[in-house]
Amino acid sequence: MRYNVGIDIGGTFTDIIAVSSEGKTIVHKTLSTPHDSSVGFINGIREVAEMADVSFEKFVASIDAIVHGTTVATNALLTLKGAKTALITTKGFRDALEMRRGIREEQFNNHYRNVTPLAPRYLRFTVDERIDSEGKVVKKFDEKELLPIIKKIKEEQVESVAICFMNSFKNAAHEKQALKFLRKNLKGIFVTASFEVLPSIRFYERVSTTAVSAFVGPIVAKYLDNLTKKLEGINYKGTLLIMQSNGGVVVPEQVKKNPAVTVLSGPAAAPTAGAFYSKMLGYKNCITADMGGTSFDAAIVINNECVTSTEGNINRYRIALPSLDIITIGAGGGSIGWINEGGLLQMGPQSAGAMPGPVCYERGGTEPTCTDADIILGYLNPDFFAGGKLKLNKAKAEKAIKAELAGKLGLSVLETAAGMYRIINSNMAQGVREISVERGYDPREFLFIVAGGAGSIHSSEICKELEIPMFLVPNVSSIFCAAGMLLGDLKHDYIRSYFTSFNHLDKKKFQTLLNEMKEEGLKALVEDEGVAKDRITFHPILDMRYLGQYHEVQMESDWEDVISFNMDAIFDSFHKEHNRQFGYSLKEEGTEMELINVRLRVVGKTERPKFLSGKIKPVAVESAIKEYREVYIPETGKMKKVAVYDGDKPIFNAKIKGPCVIEKITTSVFISEDWDCEVDGFGSFIVYERGKFPKGFKSNQKLS
Amino acid sequence: MQIDKILVSIFQRAFKSITDEMSISLTKTTRSPILCEAKDFVTGLYDAKGQMLEQTENLPILSFSLGPVCRVILEQYGTDIHEGDVIIHNDVFTMGNQNNDVAIFKPIFHEGVLVGWSAAKGHQADIGGAVQGGYNPNATEVWQEALRIPAVKLYEKGKLRKDVWSLIFANIRLTMVQEDIKAQIGACTLGERRLQAFVGKYGLKVFESHKQALFDSTEKMMRAEIKNIPNGVYKGGSMVYYDGKHKGSKFPIRTVITVKDEDITFDFSTSSPQTKGFVNGIYTSTCSAITLTFLQMVNPTIPHNEGMIKPLKYIVPEGTILNASYPAATTFGNHLCPQVADAIFKALGPAVPERITAGWNHLLCSLFTGNHPRTGKKYVDICFLGLKGGSGAMKGDDGYDHIGMIDASGGVLDQDYEMYEQQTPHMIVQHEYLCDSGGAGQWRGGLGTVTQIMLRGDDTTMVVFGDGDVEPNYGLFGGKGSVLNKIELRSPSPTLPKGKGATNARGGKNKTTAAISPHIRGDKNGLIVPMSKDIINGIPNNTLYLQIAGGGGGFGNPKKRDKERVKQDVKNEVVSKKSAKELYGLKK
Repeated sequence: MRYNVGIDIGGTFTDIIAVSSEGKTIVHKTLSTPHDSSVGFINGIREVAEMADVSFEKFVASIDAIVHGTTVATNALLTLKGAKTALITTKGFRDALEMRRGIREEQFNNHYRNVTPLAPRYLRFTVDERIDSEGKVVKKFDEKELLPIIKKIKEEQVESVAICFMNSFKNAAHEKQALKFLRKNLKGIFVTASFEVLPSIRFYERVSTTAVSAFVGPIVAKYLDNLTKKLEGINYKGTLLIMQSNGGVVVPEQVKKNPAVTVLSGPAAAPTAGAFYSKMLGYKNCITADMGGTSFDAAIVINNECVTSTEGNINRYRIALPSLDIITIGAGGGSIGWINEGGLLQMGPQSAGAMPGPVCYERGGTEPTCTDADIILGYLNPDFFAGGKLKLNKAKAEKAIKAELAGKLGLSVLETAAGMYRIINSNMAQGVREISVERGYDPREFLFIVAGGAGSIHSSEICKELEIPMFLVPNVSSIFCAAGMLLGDLKHDYIRSYFTSFNHLDKKKFQTLLNEMKEEGLKALVEDEGVAKDRITFHPILDMRYLGQYHEVQMESDWEDVISFNMDAIFDSFHKEHNRQFGYSLKEEGTEMELINVRLRVVGKTERPKFLSGKIKPVAVESAIKEYREVYIPETGKMKKVAVYDGDKPIFNAKIKGPCVIEKITTSVFISEDWDCEVDGFGSFIVYERGKFPKGFKSNQKLS
Repeated sequence: MQIDKILVSIFQRAFKSITDEMSISLTKTTRSPILCEAKDFVTGLYDAKGQMLEQTENLPILSFSLGPVCRVILEQYGTDIHEGDVIIHNDVFTMGNQNNDVAIFKPIFHEGVLVGWSAAKGHQADIGGAVQGGYNPNATEVWQEALRIPAVKLYEKGKLRKDVWSLIFANIRLTMVQEDIKAQIGACTLGERRLQAFVGKYGLKVFESHKQALFDSTEKMMRAEIKNIPNGVYKGGSMVYYDGKHKGSKFPIRTVITVKDEDITFDFSTSSPQTKGFVNGIYTSTCSAITLTFLQMVNPTIPHNEGMIKPLKYIVPEGTILNASYPAATTFGNHLCPQVADAIFKALGPAVPERITAGWNHLLCSLFTGNHPRTGKKYVDICFLGLKGGSGAMKGDDGYDHIGMIDASGGVLDQDYEMYEQQTPHMIVQHEYLCDSGGAGQWRGGLGTVTQIMLRGDDTTMVVFGDGDVEPNYGLFGGKGSVLNKIELRSPSPTLPKGKGATNARGGKNKTTAAISPHIRGDKNGLIVPMSKDIINGIPNNTLYLQIAGGGGGFGNPKKRDKERVKQDVKNEVVSKKSAKELYGLKK
């Protein structure tokens, strides 16, 4: 039996999923080891071997691929604990990185500060070189200018260097020259240049992305080297693949070339898994929602493909590489309830996180949180949180809500908890609205997939607010991201800037750019990653706009259309896409169009694992009822005694009537008064508004 | 009716989400860079009486710009308001705030009853008048600046009034403006749909009562903030220099602020009479300036609705420089905001020193038009990246670097350098923080910038408008002031282009202060220093443009600044060794 393994390392838990060639699935959670996360990584594999009932050595030998999502880069940006970074740029442009185009995000807040630049000003050096907007050399670059800079870099013990010159997207000769010289003369120091990271127009996005890459580079490389060594240590012979922010996977060597591709490595797996699940259920489009302790992530899948965006920011640092379009808002189990000066109840964005955590955790938290409200409302079982591993103190939660909120609001503890529940649901609905409505999509036409432990007790209310008639809680909901990692293809994104009106487009040049990128992709996939040629596909994207516009549309096109220069097809789809996004096109007016960038995504299809449940005999629904408990019914505003089902029992292909709670070790599902639930053949829950179960919904079809 | 307090929280969130969504729609669908890049627009929802439910300002200077117009419309049309109407308005003499800022209002009905308004107001790239773009330093009357549009129905009961549309747009140079107005109507339709659905969901009674509860709660927040200011009468002032007509002219702005318990009154009656040029404010723009300044002194999370403005009283009599009488020219009015803010900060400083900032950099802006030799087409460039200086420091915080004037507060973004070089014929030589530009203080003023651009268009014209070239942005409580704004041109040929400032190019007060750029040092030919309101024609290709945007003022005695921070500033070369020694008292 051969295995594929997905590993997602979070703040508290390391999630692992192992799927065998025969479809046997093992799901496991082990404690994370923040001092050296590779320890938890190896522990997890060891524990899964035990669960599979084989020796550790034998299990390791049977693994073909380990796919891993890492938060090393994300955390470096969030905590500002990256490498000591220097930037070398064109004379006259020393401060673009720090200026961030002069934005202050909070205009009425004079205490709001700029971010700490990833390369401080004293480590931002300039050289007297210049290439103009047409790519012509105005001032020739002389390597000698780098000598004093190299001296300073060594003196200051800089660990990483970014190079970004003006107009290098037109002509990278000077950057290449500088990169070569610095790599030769700065042995042991990470050096990268913007033409390697993001060779496209817009200086600010490029310098910022390159600086991010340099800032996280040495840390990511060290992490991957350590992990590779540990895996060699246990005699692992299979492939190690790393999840990228774009939802694809690559080998570690590719990551080291451009470490910025991993800044959203962790959350990128959720929409990837969403794409798989929705397809399996016969849906083209879905929204994935993942509620954690501190934040709520929402993402969208269109036509079974995850949606990427180049508008990303992390901690206010701009990263313009294609990343999955994920909205994150400050709403989670740890979100704190508070009362503003106008006497209104608010939830978050401040969070008690995992430490000190909600009051009911008894880890020192004193401020009432969403989880504290959930326990008062009966949605969570104080004696069965994480299967009883963590006892929750309901009395303390009540006391805190009374002291901090209920007294001031003049409401009862229950009314206050219900208010907290409503407000946080409304906040999360806003996040879903942002990822859908504000992108021009109607969420009611989407399958709504809920991941994360806490999400499924809030999702029916989110759905009601957005008039979404149904949501899905997958059987692997709590380790959704780890599962998603096994579903990513090998993906490489390339970009070339070619700024021209289509009337003046040079066909040869256009095709050369495409072919260049194609070759690069083939090299990475075939030579470095060993993908067979027939499993490789090419997906061009053109950044286009009507002449005179400022915001361009990223338009996916067909390789054949683009390489054969089928302009009618290209223009037609542009008008359509523009119309979809903005509600109008200028097709009739015959407005001229211009090209900004040509992108190419090169994809190597991976084998999809077969997630099959074991041959477990299902039990009758009634036998899964473990107790009756009072829970809050939002429709009536009252507590009501409802059935609580043991969701870990094999209740497949069954129907469960609301209102009720389904409790699993890792998650709870609340099904409201006018809603019901179908359990499919794999233990996933499909929860829907009564009477609105969609016709033709294929909940039990065969996988793969 | 019983108030559901939780529902009030949800109302606030819902209104905000609607006005935000309207703003996103506008950003994505407008064409003029002033709208889609600089986001010089506001989207709002108002109730049937014209009370603000919520708005998304994008630029703070628009924080008070919709409400007065909404009430004018209600008064003008009375019962003649119907579903499907679309009303357009810009007239500054019927509560508009700036000629270029054109508003669209759409009434919202629920079961045949008027329940509210959605509105969008944006700065148009052209609005007729004598000069493209509307900034005409030579104007003395409104018609030399713009087409006046009092409230007029563009659509009546869903039907486009083609004659009205043609009449308006026959008087506006750019067709782009029509597209941008369509985008504004689109955003209003979006707001209409959303609010309609919202009222439909909760019913009119719940909507009315909970909306009022939201106003009351917000008012309570605002009053609590005012209560924290000691009762008293506070006076402050600032100066406006040069009206575009009379060299050396200056006009005082004076405010008397009365705080009594939970009410605050801003009285600008004693300010200078109006000017003969276009350097005049108008009631709505001045009230916006007052509002945004005060909002920066209070809890930034207070929702923006009627309750927020209710405790604020504005007295800005007609005939003053802040509220000019018909038919004065007033396009510069929005840019009197920095002086209004200065006066308010100076007045309230002694009472609430921890809430105010030292002086922010004032706007000095240039706008280029000419022919682009590579494309053969005309180009327009508002040089946003050059004009943005620093904000004033405050107790506990250094100023914000390169944020721009207080009326935008970091809302206007620099052009991207490479996109800029593609779209204009210009080449950027330098755009960097200027060392020692932030006023020294225990907390240092935000840094200003130095910008050099090689102008490479043919037949280039430069319009300059702004201020901040005479009096430095002030420091407070022992903090120092900052450097002055400056614009100058260094032409490659000895023949100087024509402009008001051309004559004082050599010598006089505006003489260049050396050493900023090696390109300028020692060169005595071809230098031109424009006035702060000026038009310069026929600028030759390869003229070097230099702009300095000053920093913000410092706060507190610089000698008390944490020495580690001084050392860090020196290491980062934003404070010179000389200043560190002389101003901050750093020993070595």
